[in-house]
Amino acid sequence: MRPLMLQGHERSITQIKYNREGDLLFSCSKDQKPNVWYSLNGERLGTYDGHQGAVWCLDVDWESRKLITGAGDMTAKIWDVEYGTVIASIPTKSSVRTSNFSFSGNQAAYSTDKAMGQSCELFLIDVRNADSSLSEQEPTLRIPMTESKITSMLWGPLDETIITGHDNGNIAIWDIRKGQKVVDSGTDHSAGINDMQLSKDGTMFVTASKDTTAKLFDSESLMCLKTYKTERPVNSAAISPIMDHVVLGGGQDAMEVTTTSTKAGKFDSRFFHLIYEEEFARLKGHFGPINSLAFHPDGKSYASGGEDGFVRVQTFDSTYFENIFE
Amino acid sequence: MKSFVTSWADEVDADYVDGLPPSNEYIKGDYKYVTEYKFNDDGKKVKVVRTFKIEKQIVPKAVARRRNWVKFGDSRSDKPGPNSQTTMASEEILMQFIGSKEFDQTHETQLDPGKNIAKCRICNGEHWSVNCPYKGTSMDSKTVMETKANAAAAAAISDPSKTGKYVPPFMKDGGGISGSKNWGRGRDRDDSSAVRISNLSESMTETDLEELVKKIGPHTKMYLAREKNSGLCKGFAYVHFKFRQDAAAAIEVLNGHGYDHLILCVEWSKPQP
Repeated sequence: MRPLMLQGHERSITQIKYNREGDLLFSCSKDQKPNVWYSLNGERLGTYDGHQGAVWCLDVDWESRKLITGAGDMTAKIWDVEYGTVIASIPTKSSVRTSNFSFSGNQAAYSTDKAMGQSCELFLIDVRNADSSLSEQEPTLRIPMTESKITSMLWGPLDETIITGHDNGNIAIWDIRKGQKVVDSGTDHSAGINDMQLSKDGTMFVTASKDTTAKLFDSESLMCLKTYKTERPVNSAAISPIMDHVVLGGGQDAMEVTTTSTKAGKFDSRFFHLIYEEEFARLKGHFGPINSLAFHPDGKSYASGGEDGFVRVQTFDSTYFENIFE
Repeated sequence: MKSFVTSWADEVDADYVDGLPPSNEYIKGDYKYVTEYKFNDDGKKVKVVRTFKIEKQIVPKAVARRRNWVKFGDSRSDKPGPNSQTTMASEEILMQFIGSKEFDQTHETQLDPGKNIAKCRICNGEHWSVNCPYKGTSMDSKTVMETKANAAAAAAISDPSKTGKYVPPFMKDGGGISGSKNWGRGRDRDDSSAVRISNLSESMTETDLEELVKKIGPHTKMYLAREKNSGLCKGFAYVHFKFRQDAAAAIEVLNGHGYDHLILCVEWSKPQP
């Protein structure tokens, strides 16, 4: 395969996401401009200019009309995907670490960092008629996180719950009607959760953790189903929508990167079998750790964003589909 | 092209703002050809022809609509199609399937790069015996190693400097008698246990030299002659051993020994004229 290299960022990529149809690929990085690309040919559609700090997270709604981003400049912004303009800018007390639209796109959730004397909090907002007045409105729900800060977040099935992954490795489910915790995973992970991504039908999700493992959880009971072991912190993990595969991306901490050779194979994307928990393939490419991974919704390609500032879109060869796991 | 331009010099001024012919593109069959001119790093004019394959896809209406969106932000001024500044095709790479031949080739030696598994039978160094610098010398036999080890151990016991107590410099190395002169001018130093190693390669460093002589016995001082400007080894070095018998052993072992593709010459250091 000849991957597409997308070079629109000046600093390391923090998150990448496809929209529902997979024709658009969104990327955000520690520079201030999230980008949107046509995934088919790698053409850049535009940049969303307006943030004044590192952009940590983004999400696009079901109809690809609205984009929500959270940044280190202590705002969460909702954008018009088509024109790149800000619909609403919501000020927060500390930087925004995670942000997600609900499945229906009627609500959005975002969480703030525990920093500058502020504790970590989870906010819910109604974005059905989002306009600039959203910045003055009170969030529909606030849940303070007393134990450990949120590092990753997902909406549960039917927009009734929110799944949060924490810095101490904990995973919890919150009922948004009661505003309280309903399920707690306990200590499946021993270090912080870097990323969580749902399977196509939403019944399970895969976590990526600093404790060098990725795990598959049931999204209702938080039962740990599978464990994918590596030797290095896992920064991101994604489940293939068409195959029983998960792809893991990671590497060591950014501070150790300069002392590592790209040949050592630490920056590869690693493919594991979803059920047998065994690694079956690797793919080279990045010369820094992979920070974010996303499968194209058709499962025939995937994208990775790295600490090196590149987004690479890889389209699988026929060998990938022909490979039979023994 | 404008019709009133007659001279090629005017043409350059009028049409080619930066001295480059304009880029053009044409479509032929399923392929689109884009020709651009630019200056390369050496300031030479180069012609770049890029070929694109045009593929038709049937997509949902929403996707087709999005395909026609106007570019914005930093891509505002981009032409339709990928901009070569932001989108590049990278080199061909292949997925490496675990258990396959190519995977084993690239990952086998990387299993534990931090640890050197080689151990030399001759000198216990971190290399294979085949590559040992002492291979084929009299070091290459266990008995020599043992007698050396015994001698070193015996020497360590009788050596007052190993007791951990402070020993003034003039008391060290049994240099008590001539000690007062010893640390004065260089000419007066005790050269009785010094050897001169010559025919060293240019790339020789102090570490290499130490590596070479430490197997023979403890040394007090060594000097590697270096070229003043380049800092490269001039080809010879002096090593002062703690004991004269070690110096003798060094001459016996290392003289004629091959090192760095060169045959070393080791002899007693002669006093400078």
